[in-house]
Amino acid sequence: MPSVEDRAALRRASVRLDDRTVLHEIELEIGPGVTVIRGRNGAGKTTLLRALAGLIPLSRGTREVGDDVLYLGHRPQLHRALSAQENLAFFARYRGLSTDTIEPALRAWGVVDIARPVERLSAGQRRRASLARIDVERSAVVLLDEPFSELDDEAFTLLAGRITECGARGQTVVIATHGHQELAGYRTVRLDAGTLVG
Amino acid sequence: MRLARARLVAGRELRAERAQPDGLAAALGLVAILVFTESLLVGPAVAAAPGIAAALLWIALALATILAVTRSFDRELEDDALEALLVLPDGRDALYAGKLIAATLLLLVVALGGTALTIYLLDLEVALPFHLLLVTLVGALALPPLVTLYVAVSLRLRARALVVPLLALPALLPQLIAVSAGVTAAIAGDGGASLAWCGLLFAAALASAIAGFTIGPAAIE
Repeated sequence: MPSVEDRAALRRASVRLDDRTVLHEIELEIGPGVTVIRGRNGAGKTTLLRALAGLIPLSRGTREVGDDVLYLGHRPQLHRALSAQENLAFFARYRGLSTDTIEPALRAWGVVDIARPVERLSAGQRRRASLARIDVERSAVVLLDEPFSELDDEAFTLLAGRITECGARGQTVVIATHGHQELAGYRTVRLDAGTLVG
Repeated sequence: MRLARARLVAGRELRAERAQPDGLAAALGLVAILVFTESLLVGPAVAAAPGIAAALLWIALALATILAVTRSFDRELEDDALEALLVLPDGRDALYAGKLIAATLLLLVVALGGTALTIYLLDLEVALPFHLLLVTLVGALALPPLVTLYVAVSLRLRARALVVPLLALPALLPQLIAVSAGVTAAIAGDGGASLAWCGLLFAAALASAIAGFTIGPAAIE
């Protein structure tokens, strides 16, 4: 039985944004391992992940997710004035983790200039620096929204491998995507017009 | 733990400000311009009156605080850096407290600079420099809680540049009156009045900090 720390659940959860119901009565429990949320553009995948992350309030229902959550959205979520190294050091210290893993993680993800302000990095390098948080923070619940966008083939392969490793380690990994057959084989949840369909 | 996390957010903020000091530069620039143009606006004789000089300086400092805190939150919105903070444990509390600490330190620097510039340019004679320093210090504590609160509350509003000053400036009136009166008394040599205004200012700082910590973290979207 997974603990609250390593599972993510929504109970009869609805989300309304701009007077429109984006998620409707979602009943979902996700345990350790990799789960892929699929659906067309506008199906509500991003809203579902943001609801799990606690970034948007539920209009109905409850959210059951522990404190140790990593959410990586469409954008890198790094402070542009700071370097990749400084950004990751902040997150590591905030969570009470060692900063020794930061440089190896950034190197492993192919971030070339780890001391340069993030705003001077290319979009792909920023994305890689952001994904290196997966290795540094090793959170119990990892929520990834379209994580393969802006990645070249090398980074794509690297990320696919990391996702498998995280799942094997017992982390709860939830990925929202509209494509990528590379993620076939994992538990899949389908979302259509804000409703779970399978 | 919560204080340590707030300190980390404040440290990150100050590191970013050191790397790109646009918030500090804008705040210092605004105060300097207003102090420089003060004599032109009201005439040299009126400008040198301690009450007028203090009031104009602290109105400039209030606007500078709004400018700096708004810029600080703007940077969090770039690349959705804010979301990464909000997802962290106690992220909302740490974000509000961290921004508040950083804004207070930044305002203190700007207030000391602005006060020194005002004294120099208007050739003011300060009877009680220690009292002036104390009022400036407490004044720097009193303005940021409400400004940070209003910037946080209006974070997703398109008309934020208008809404924040409209909300914050009337709410800051008691603090502005107290700090101006305290500075005036310190310049004029009325130590008792200066300390009394300082006490009122501290009470206002405490009340606005409590209001900020109660509402601010929950209001951040």
